[in-house]
Amino acid sequence: MVNIATFAWERSHRSAEVTCECGADMTSDLGVFACGGYRNGADEPAGRRELTQTTVARVRSSLSVDPNVVRDRIRSRLETTPGRLNGYLIVLTILGVLAGLSAVVGAAQRNDSIDSVVNRSGPLAVQAQRLYRALSDADATAASAFLSSAAEPPDLRQRYQLDIADASAALAAAASAGTSGTSGTAADPIARISAKLPVYTGLVETARTQNRLNLPVGAAYLREASALMRDELLPAASQLYQSETAQLDDDLSAGSSFPWLTVPLILVLLGGLVLAQRYLTRRTQRLLSRGMAVATVATVVMLLWVAVSWLDVSNQLGDSRDQGSAQVNLIAQARIAALQARADEALTLVARGSGDAFEKDFTDRMATISGAAGLVGQARNQAQSADVAKDLDKALGSIAGWGSQHKQVRTLDDGGQYPEAVTLALGDTAKTFNAIDTSLGDAIAKADGAFRDHASSADAAMSGATVGWSLLTIVSIAGLVLGLRQRIAEYR
Amino acid sequence: MRTRTALVASALAVALIGLAGCSSGGSPASAPLGDAPRPAGVQDPAKIPPPASGAASASCGDATASLRPPASLPAPGNMPAGTTMAKILARGRLIVGTDQNTYLFGFRNPETGAIEGFDVDIANEVAKAIFGTADGHVQLVAITSAQRIPYLTEGKVDIVAHTMTINCERWQQINFSTEYYHAGQTVLVPKSSKANGIGDLGGKKVCAAAGSTSIVNIANAPSKPIPVSVPDWTDCLVMLQQGQVEAISTDDTILAGMAAQDPTVKLVTSTAFTNEPYGLGIAPKDDQFTRFVNGVLANIRSNGRWAAIYQRWLGGTGTPPAAHYRD
Repeated sequence: MVNIATFAWERSHRSAEVTCECGADMTSDLGVFACGGYRNGADEPAGRRELTQTTVARVRSSLSVDPNVVRDRIRSRLETTPGRLNGYLIVLTILGVLAGLSAVVGAAQRNDSIDSVVNRSGPLAVQAQRLYRALSDADATAASAFLSSAAEPPDLRQRYQLDIADASAALAAAASAGTSGTSGTAADPIARISAKLPVYTGLVETARTQNRLNLPVGAAYLREASALMRDELLPAASQLYQSETAQLDDDLSAGSSFPWLTVPLILVLLGGLVLAQRYLTRRTQRLLSRGMAVATVATVVMLLWVAVSWLDVSNQLGDSRDQGSAQVNLIAQARIAALQARADEALTLVARGSGDAFEKDFTDRMATISGAAGLVGQARNQAQSADVAKDLDKALGSIAGWGSQHKQVRTLDDGGQYPEAVTLALGDTAKTFNAIDTSLGDAIAKADGAFRDHASSADAAMSGATVGWSLLTIVSIAGLVLGLRQRIAEYR
Repeated sequence: MRTRTALVASALAVALIGLAGCSSGGSPASAPLGDAPRPAGVQDPAKIPPPASGAASASCGDATASLRPPASLPAPGNMPAGTTMAKILARGRLIVGTDQNTYLFGFRNPETGAIEGFDVDIANEVAKAIFGTADGHVQLVAITSAQRIPYLTEGKVDIVAHTMTINCERWQQINFSTEYYHAGQTVLVPKSSKANGIGDLGGKKVCAAAGSTSIVNIANAPSKPIPVSVPDWTDCLVMLQQGQVEAISTDDTILAGMAAQDPTVKLVTSTAFTNEPYGLGIAPKDDQFTRFVNGVLANIRSNGRWAAIYQRWLGGTGTPPAAHYRD
């Protein structure tokens, strides 16, 4: 502050005894620049040029000035009107630059976060969810296919192939985006899935071949495949899904954060402009400086623009979360839990009476999705779109139906009617389950659409901000510099 | 713009992390990404449970000696009140604990989805004696070797037909019928293997099912092989085919079923190194039911049913092992 004040004082003081007051603490670049600044002054008296030229040398030599003396001199200089005006000029210019920088950098960061939501973390969360779902579906389908005797039904075979194709495509998309640092180690879920997915499909194909040869070892290969899926692939897919979802949440929060630096800076700048004008009005008996007025208007416009764009962006991102990604997350979790419960149902039958662990797992997973407090119920309560709500109501109805059908399957199996239990599980129960899967899939597609719409709106709300705020900053600074210098010049 | 900068920065960071990984030296302890998949529940090396209650008390003379059947069995559909048979008759089905993974003895036929085999047919004979016909009166529950005794003591099944070796230690926990098949433990190896018996497998991994007598025999073999246990017998075949074990060692019957599924494996030519008499497992202290089952077994030994079942599953002509009684 001493540097700035001294500089301000230098620029205004005209008396002969003035030597450059760049004192002991003026050896910085700013000090040198400040003292050297005379050279280009258009209104500089000719007689002072020599003095100015010696300034730099003096600054460098006079390192032993008493700071108290300097402070007193600054105080006395600031009491003069031009001194005060120069002070305002410096402080307001710096504030203007800082506020402008903060606004523009903030806008760039916000754009970056929104861009990430729209183009990176948003789509990646969808890919991770697609991967997780496809793997869970493959597990459930392989287990169901095993239950049916003889050659597996073509529709189950096709479904399994679609799952693997879908999982591979989603995996490739996630890997090429280089998410979560593809380190190639076991800690990296993408590397883990990439390494184990071909092994899984190999085991399933071996099981299928052995089954066709009518050899029981096929069942053992299928069990090994299922264990690989449940112990390694699904946990890795879940980990990837959670980290991508967390990344999306981070981007959404970053995109809608309040501009805590920019707004106070603009407010302080505005306050400074008002103070400077009040001072000017009092001292110069003139109502308005045109430059200062322009600067004030530009600053007010900028404040409004920053505030409105923040309100808009945070609203849109909030909606894209509440009606979009948060809904997608809940429903996707429910859909995957349903798939895993379906696999449990089939594996309980495959285990032929010793599948208590699978049955318990089924009960646990069903508890997480059914009822008003379950995942689907929660999503239904938070749904703002009537279409999504309709899909979720349909899913809730089917889940209740599945629950009672499953009880029937268990009663038949426990009562010794194994073939009847298998027929029911592969027939009506499969239809009910597919209805649940379809309804939840529809709801996810709609919620994802809402997510993308709102995220694009947030993107649009920031359009032109960087350029506009830069221009406003320049206008504001130019206005205040011209306005103040005009008045300062009147004192010469 | 900023995204590109961020990308470059993260690429740099990744490169740096990669370098750091190299400089820290050495690959991870066991490259987990390249690990072969394993059957669920595998134990390598296997934990061998200690004998149930001391080796001394496990001696009971002739373990195959069971309870003598009555002079004549009650007529099917007309069981004496208060007996287990009457309970089964009232329920309408005999609940049998069996295997769906042992080819030829108890296995799931992939074509029909039905569980069948030598053991299942023996259990069907018991159902026939109670109901007059086995059709629709047998509920098969697929269990692992380790589940056989708990399922009996907890009353989840009426009878266990699951290549189960009769021995004194198990007699302390459950009842056994008379011996219905005589097996002996031997070894299955890939055809390329030079091993010709358990004695050649010292320090090598040898697979058997958890809770079987075979896994204990492997652990106790003087050549000191490394026992690897799995839940079901076919899991052993999977591990052998994947090169994760050097050999499988269990009863010749089970191994023959595996050899029938894979032309690249063979049974060693050395003779069996243990005796494995198979009996039907029955709930502990249910002497009345045990005598009834022994009566059924005595009938099928003499009336040719046993030979027909042998012919159906194992081919050729077999002779049933003689029944021994303790009273």
